[in-house]
Order: sequence, then C-alpha cells, then structure tokens
Amino acid sequence: MTLTYRHNKEVIQISETPNVSDVEFDIKVLAEDKWAGIKELQRTFEDNDVHTDVLFYPYENHHYKVIVRIDYYADFILGLMKHHLLESVEWV
Amino acid sequence: MEQQAILAIGIFLVIYALIISEKIHRTIVAMIGGLLMVLLGIVDQETAIHHIDFNTLGLLIGMMIIVSITADTGLFKYIAVWSAKKSKGDPVRIMISLSIITAVGSALLDNVTTVLLMVPVTFSITRQLRVPPMPYLITMIIACNVGGTATLIGDPPNIMIGSAVPELTFMAFIYNLAPIAIIIFAVILPIFVLLFRKQIQTTPELKQSIMEMDEKELITDHKMLRKCLAVLGLTILGFFLHQLLHLESATVALAGAFLLLLLTGEHVMEVALTRVEWLTIFFFVGLFVLVSGLIETGVISQLAAQAIELTNGDPVATALLILWLSAIASAFVDNIPFVATMIPMIKEMGNMGIANLEPLWWSLALGACLGGNGTLIGASANLIVAGMAGKEGHPIKFMTFFKYGFPIMILTVLIATVYVYFRYLI
Repeated sequence: MTLTYRHNKEVIQISETPNVSDVEFDIKVLAEDKWAGIKELQRTFEDNDVHTDVLFYPYENHHYKVIVRIDYYADFILGLMKHHLLESVEWV
Repeated sequence: MEQQAILAIGIFLVIYALIISEKIHRTIVAMIGGLLMVLLGIVDQETAIHHIDFNTLGLLIGMMIIVSITADTGLFKYIAVWSAKKSKGDPVRIMISLSIITAVGSALLDNVTTVLLMVPVTFSITRQLRVPPMPYLITMIIACNVGGTATLIGDPPNIMIGSAVPELTFMAFIYNLAPIAIIIFAVILPIFVLLFRKQIQTTPELKQSIMEMDEKELITDHKMLRKCLAVLGLTILGFFLHQLLHLESATVALAGAFLLLLLTGEHVMEVALTRVEWLTIFFFVGLFVLVSGLIETGVISQLAAQAIELTNGDPVATALLILWLSAIASAFVDNIPFVATMIPMIKEMGNMGIANLEPLWWSLALGACLGGNGTLIGASANLIVAGMAGKEGHPIKFMTFFKYGFPIMILTVLIATVYVYFRYLI
C-alpha cells in the first residue's frame, strides 16, 4: 500500500523525486498563511533525536528542498497534513 | 603497601576496565567506583566531595547552557551553510571549512558541545551533496581534538589541568598551546584532503543546489540570536580576562549562562537545563572521587616517585615521558580518567623536588588532547560522533577510525615533541 496525498496547487507546489534510500521533495509554499506551518514542521523534525530523518534546505521565496528518508516518508506526509499544507492523505 | 591502597588500586582497575569495555554505561561505572571508595572507608564523604573539581563541572555546565540556547537560534547551521557556499559547494573545500569551523569551535566551546552541533549539520550537507559522511566525520573528530588543545576551555583535559593549576590561566594556554595546535592542524588538513578527496566527489548540479540555499532562513530567532552573541562574546572576553578579574573559569561560564537565561526567560531555561549533558557531568563526579581514593592512600605519591626514579628527575626525560605516556594511554583509554590520575601525580612530582612543572603540564595537556585522536575511545567527542553516526546508519568502526587516527596521532605527537623540546627543555 502506498500513501497518496492531494494538495491545493495555489497553496503549495510539491514534486517528488524518489531515490534509493530517500525521497527528495521540491516544495514551494505559495500561501502566506502557510509559511509558519512549514517552518513549524521543519522545527519538529530538527528538534527530534534523529538527525537524518527529514532534512530541510531553504531557498528564497519560501522554496524548500526536503530530503526524506524512506522510513520517514509517512511521518513527513502526515506532518504536512497536520500543518494544513495538504488537503487529503490516503492509503491506496 | 597498605591494605587500603591495594583495595583502592583494585577498585580503580576494575572500574577502568569496565569503562573501557563499554559493557555498562561509563557514568554508572564511574559513580559506582566513586561510591565504593566512600562505602569501603577508603575516603570519607567530606574528603570525596573536596576532591570533586567543581570548577571543571561549572565550566562545562555553563558552556553547555550557553551553546544549547545559541544553537536553537540556528546560528551554527547558518555558519556551516554560509561556509559551504563560500566553498562554492565543492565537497573537498567544504570538508576543509567544516574542519576549520570545528577546530575553532572546539577551541572556544568544549569538544563535546562542538561535535553535538557540527555532526547534524555535516549530515545535512553531505546528504545534499550525495557524498559519504564518513570522511567528514573522521576529519571532524581529529579537528575537534586538535582545536580543543589550543585553549583552557577547549578540551576536558585542559579544563581539568587549568582548574588544578591556577597559574595556568586562559592566556597561558593560548600562549603555550595555540601555536602548536595551529601548526599541527595546518599539517594534518592537507593529509586528509589527500586521503579523502577521491571519495567525496559530486555533480555540478548538486554543488549549485548548495550555492542557491538561503542561509538567512536558517536563523529562527533574530532577537534571541543577538542576546546569545552578546553573552557569548562577553563570556569569551571573561575567559581572556579571568586572571585579571580574579575569577575562576567556572564563574565566568556560569555567569554567562545565567545572564543568558535571565534574558531569554523561563521556558528557555527549562529546555536548556535538560540539554546539559548530565551524564558527562556525573561521569566526572564519579571519576574525581575514584581517583581521590588513589590520592588519599598514597598510591599516586608512590607512582610519582617511581616515575622520577625512572627518569632520575631529569626534566627532559620526565616531560617527554609524560607526553608520550599521556598520548598512548589517552589513545586507548578515555583521556579524562587518565588526566584525572596524572594531575595529582605531577603535583606530587613538584613536592618531590622537580622545580619547574610547566613543561610537564604542557606535555600532559598535549599528550592527552592529541592522544585522544588515536582510537575511537580516546576521547569523549570521538565516542559521541561515533554514537550519533551509528544511530543515523553510518557506523564508524573501531578499526576504520584506527587506521586514520592512530598514525595521525603519532605524527601530531612527534610534532609536539619537537615543540616541547625546543620551547621548554633546552
């Protein structure tokens, strides 16, 4: 079963590139009211005890590259959902 | 030899062996060792407490608080990414710049704190560049121990020596050890570049992705950052002036820490105090009491006498013996317990007639700090990096580190030998 998600393209642009042991996300947060949410998500993963679970790389204009270890994919997707950056998440 | 002395030696050796074996956490082992010294009447509680070096503990606690609060502002991540961009995203140049940052950080903060800050950042940068983290971690460990050699506050052995010998001030450490630390660092860095450059190659696109990062976004709290930088600056200035101000280094560090807590508030205090490495602090406590058993029973005095007999009290031979003995011993046992044992021994040598102890102190500092690079268990910072790396799926095996660390350690101690000889002994 895989985890799929839907997002509002006017709120956030997301693309994924799977690699062998991780998935690279390219995220651009367009909606101003969501900027704090992505930062909060970043803080959540940076404050935990695992250093390489989800790595955020900030660029200009609320653009992020995020490298997510395969075993933390669901945690990351659910984290996006928690911060209202996704519209729905589903196992298919 | 008296029965108490034999008992003290027995307890010490068993505890030491358990610390090296890592079968039980070393903090528990050290504390039990210390408690046994008291429970069995080798030292009484008051004497045991007297031997605990609260200056060392206070310095470590103070700096850990300051650094943990500062780390939350994103400053150290900012510095790492900024330097990666200055290195044009080139993996080899990044390895050099991260090593320099680690060495300087280690000199001004303590080793353990420095690696706790630098390892996550290293993982982040190497993951983005898709290069193996191992070369960076090994270089970082070595840089940490060499950088920490340079100042009184940089490495636990130096903190302990500086605390035990009031004449060895912050400026004295800089004046005597910073030059040789810089020379050694300049010698070993190109060696690491030669060793690892082929392992750390990346693509132009990944280099560009580093260049396009916005490091300013990594600073999460500008207001707190300003407070942290002000207090950090004042604290470091305090270290430079501590002799003039007639203040111990722990007073400076704790004053800085609690000033920062005053400025940042109760919530920050609760988090900062939980982040102090209490395991390390209690390890020191146990160790100090453990060694007190050897001091009070006269074992240390006897060892000192035998060392002087071995060298006929010759300053050159004694200093070089201490340098190499400290280096080799520190490579195979954690340098902190070794230095805790050597400090009273050198003091006793002074009581036995060796007039000028300074070369011996510098030899001990150099040997213990540089010796820590010999093996993975040689220094606390090594173990912490290895532990963190293992947790992230990049274990550093003992022999992997040994084949790099030990020869480098020998080289650095050879350089230190030349330095000690020409600077202090002729």
